[in-house]
Amino acid sequence: MPFPIWIPLAFGLSTPAMLWWLAAAAVPIAIHLLSRRRYRDLPWAAMEYLLAAMRRSRRRLQIEQLLLLVVRTLIVVLLVLAMAEPFLERDRLVAAAPRGARTHRVLVLDGSVSMDYRAAETSRFAEARELARQIVAASPQGDGFTLVLMSTPPRVVVGTPALQPAEFLAAIDEIVMPHAPADPAGTFARVEDLLQEARRQQPALTREVVYVLTDLGRSTWLPEEAAALRESDFSDRVARLASRSELVVVDLGEEGAENASVIDLAVTDPYVTVGASVSIEAQLKLFGRQTRRDQTVELRVDGRRVAGRQLDLPPGVAVAVTFDHRFDAPGDRIVEVRLEGDRLPLDDVRRMVVAVKPAVRVLCIDGRPSGESFAGAADYLAVALAPEDGRPGGVVEVDLVPESALAEIDLAGYDALFLAEVAQFTSGEAQRLAAFVHNGGGLVFFLGERVLAERYNRELGGERPNGVRLLPARIGGVVRRDDVQPGPAAWLDPMEYEHPVVAVFRGREEAGLLTTPVRRHLRLEVPPDSAAQVALATAAGEPLLVTESVGRGRVALVATSADPSWTAMPLWPSYVPVVQELLAYVVAGQAERQNVRVGEPLEGSLPLQGIDANVLLRPPLGATEPLRPRDEDGRAAFSYGETYFAGVYTVEAGPPLDRVDRFAAQLDPAESDLARITPEALRGEVFGGAPVTYLTHWEQPSVAEEGTRPRRGSLAKGLLYGVLALLLAETLLAWRFGHYGT
Amino acid sequence: MEDYRKYLDPQVLARLEGLPLRARRIVEGYVSGLHRSPFRGFSIEFAEHREYTPGDDLRYLDWKVFGRTDKYYLKQFEEETNLICHLVLDSSESMTYRSDRAAMSKLDYARSAAAALAYLVLRQQDSVGLAVFDDSVRALVRSSSNPSHLEQVCGAMIQAATNRKTATGTVFHELAERMKKRAIVAIFSDLFDSAEHALAGLKHFRHRRHDVVLFHVLDPAELEFPFEGTTRFRGLEGAAAMVVEPRGLRQAYLTEFGRFRRRLREGCRGRGIDYVLLRTDKPLDVALTGFLTARR
Repeated sequence: MPFPIWIPLAFGLSTPAMLWWLAAAAVPIAIHLLSRRRYRDLPWAAMEYLLAAMRRSRRRLQIEQLLLLVVRTLIVVLLVLAMAEPFLERDRLVAAAPRGARTHRVLVLDGSVSMDYRAAETSRFAEARELARQIVAASPQGDGFTLVLMSTPPRVVVGTPALQPAEFLAAIDEIVMPHAPADPAGTFARVEDLLQEARRQQPALTREVVYVLTDLGRSTWLPEEAAALRESDFSDRVARLASRSELVVVDLGEEGAENASVIDLAVTDPYVTVGASVSIEAQLKLFGRQTRRDQTVELRVDGRRVAGRQLDLPPGVAVAVTFDHRFDAPGDRIVEVRLEGDRLPLDDVRRMVVAVKPAVRVLCIDGRPSGESFAGAADYLAVALAPEDGRPGGVVEVDLVPESALAEIDLAGYDALFLAEVAQFTSGEAQRLAAFVHNGGGLVFFLGERVLAERYNRELGGERPNGVRLLPARIGGVVRRDDVQPGPAAWLDPMEYEHPVVAVFRGREEAGLLTTPVRRHLRLEVPPDSAAQVALATAAGEPLLVTESVGRGRVALVATSADPSWTAMPLWPSYVPVVQELLAYVVAGQAERQNVRVGEPLEGSLPLQGIDANVLLRPPLGATEPLRPRDEDGRAAFSYGETYFAGVYTVEAGPPLDRVDRFAAQLDPAESDLARITPEALRGEVFGGAPVTYLTHWEQPSVAEEGTRPRRGSLAKGLLYGVLALLLAETLLAWRFGHYGT
Repeated sequence: MEDYRKYLDPQVLARLEGLPLRARRIVEGYVSGLHRSPFRGFSIEFAEHREYTPGDDLRYLDWKVFGRTDKYYLKQFEEETNLICHLVLDSSESMTYRSDRAAMSKLDYARSAAAALAYLVLRQQDSVGLAVFDDSVRALVRSSSNPSHLEQVCGAMIQAATNRKTATGTVFHELAERMKKRAIVAIFSDLFDSAEHALAGLKHFRHRRHDVVLFHVLDPAELEFPFEGTTRFRGLEGAAAMVVEPRGLRQAYLTEFGRFRRRLREGCRGRGIDYVLLRTDKPLDVALTGFLTARR
């Protein structure tokens, strides 16, 4: 189907070499000049009357001669032009190249999400692809083509200039729009590299044209939060590019496009277990000007509609919708919130993987085990973690093991690890802990009398070369607070309740968090530039609870003991809530591991047998790919970086594992905003004033016009008619003027 | 009888050596058939009366007869030897022009015509004089009725130099002053001078009561401008040369030249001067017949 592009006409030649014959246009002029040198010489008597006639007619004769000369020259020019087979292009996309010059055409397709917007039947991306095809079709033979997808990361589809249009067209056909944000800076850097490479490899391509087919999305060209384009040397790069190549921007977007989107989806409960009611919250936002009434939003679990609601979407405001749901079976469940479809369908659905467990499994390691009840370092902790253990509805399962088990036990089965007064770690143990946390596991250290601070800092604090760094703070010496007088000086500082672990105590001073007696603790030194957060401190400003995200997991470090040896906290009413909040906080990393942004890598691990298993990854679009897991701390770790599409990625491990892991890649919500920048802003703010040809004209052709309107019109016939007319005119004029001679 | 007419063709005449011979051929070829002189004297012996027909000169109406008979009769006179014919020949450089279409130059043609006229006049025992001029009078032969005078007249015509400009005005004034007795003045010239000057001079002849006949000698090329192709016209009489495209210029030239001839013709008519066009490609008799018939 010829694509509806309407761009001012451009002139081109099929056989430009014929233009050399234009030199023949000089022949009539030469003949005219020569004829004035070749004449008969006659004596003449009636000179006076000849002179008078000459005086009267000189001007007319000159005009006549000039007219004839022009007509004769035009005859030659038109004839030569006709032989050069000129044509008119409907668009200026393939502007006529200078004679004999071959062109390297670099096609850059905007791959941002907004390119999926469908003003009509086809998306902007499909329009861009069609436009790319037309550019190829309209280009003269001998031109080379390069195709780059402006995405994150930029994808070079065809790098070495393709000289065979058929190959290149096939590459265009195969290209699929990614769902990642576009990265103009990275893309232009790649384009510059490709051009340099092409100049070396194909010096015959003397002319360069870079086409950027984009919808001028603001989130692509002038992202607000990052300002990356403005700060980078992007405009310098564009100026460099424009100095050697022609830059053509084709605007495929239109003003006033509106879009409703599911910009966020989350389970608000810390962990999801079978049968427990959880809240699923979606954020909806309308990017537009007019409220959309009665929009249907529905919740689907594993593709099945489980709830629906109707609501109004006011423009520019995020609207939260909460669904309550009970999962009836364990496993990786696909939760999706779906809005009524609009012109940009891609962001009307947001999916996440929710790992539904029979229960949250916590491994509690006691560094000072005791045969007696509540005498070990972790006994209180185990109870606080699972106060309902053994009773129906209990969602946390705790395995209490002694320190010695740490070396052997498979940590992968656990969601969180609580270590109470473990004296020290070997480097092997440290590695295992690190792998556990990086994979999304939660890790909580309680300290105490037996703790060897130096060994902690060395093995877990990154003080050993190439060692593991898990601790959010350096552990120092013991701080005794026995002599602190009761009263405000003895109280704890909740740091404005900002940390999620203590946020639950806000406004609930009677819960006793602040008055928890801490007699002794180890000094925690938070590095000044660290990302660690202090959740709780003493009145003296000594941190008591410090957390930090490590990899996909989270680590919490509690400066005092988990039993009453150093603090009365285990006996205090605040203990259970604090421990529960700590658990919720540290296991949240697991959900993050399975739900990533488009473009972020998927990382996971399988039991070690997975090394030999047939592991396949099924992306939401495209072909299944095999994965090669690698041995990492006794686990078969895998990663996959090409998450170009939003949706569910499934990792299937064959025998002997026979297991399925799911991941969800989600759109960047900034991509849902269809706001555009003006061409002036593109030229000025983004391109720094570099010379750019900006084309916009898009028009849907009527059905009648389609097909009857050739995109390229030959002018040769018209020119030949012109030659004929001029020949007749010449004869007529020569007869009228009486100049048969010249 | 020998067909003399063929000798009237300029092509034939051009081959004949000697003007007197040419003159004889012309006259005998045509004029000898006439029984009467075409030149009628003004005060000569009465011969007879003839009934008046409209157009006749009223000067010769016999009033006495009219008084007696109430009828209009014209007095007719026998020719007398006191008729003088002055031949005035332009020998300026422009008269030497001859195009491909003509067998003779204008000067040769004029000489032939003048010689023929001289022969005719002498054969009638009348007197013939000659003046040859360009920008001044170059030769002057006094009038005489001696038949051998033809040789002298022709000789003077041939010997006249031909490399000067025409200056009809001054020459005509000078000649008009010199010619004391009333005479027929036959001027052979292309008059490539200012028409006004020429007409002023001619008027002077008329003022002296001469009977003036202007034989305007022109080459057919001058009348038709038939040239093709780029041509450099080299002006005679010192005019500058000019390269032109003749076809483009033809109309304008013909207009200019036609205006000149019309001016002359009308000027002559207004002054009672006979204007006779002599085309050098036409047989001499055609030109002379027109003239002689008109004067009979």
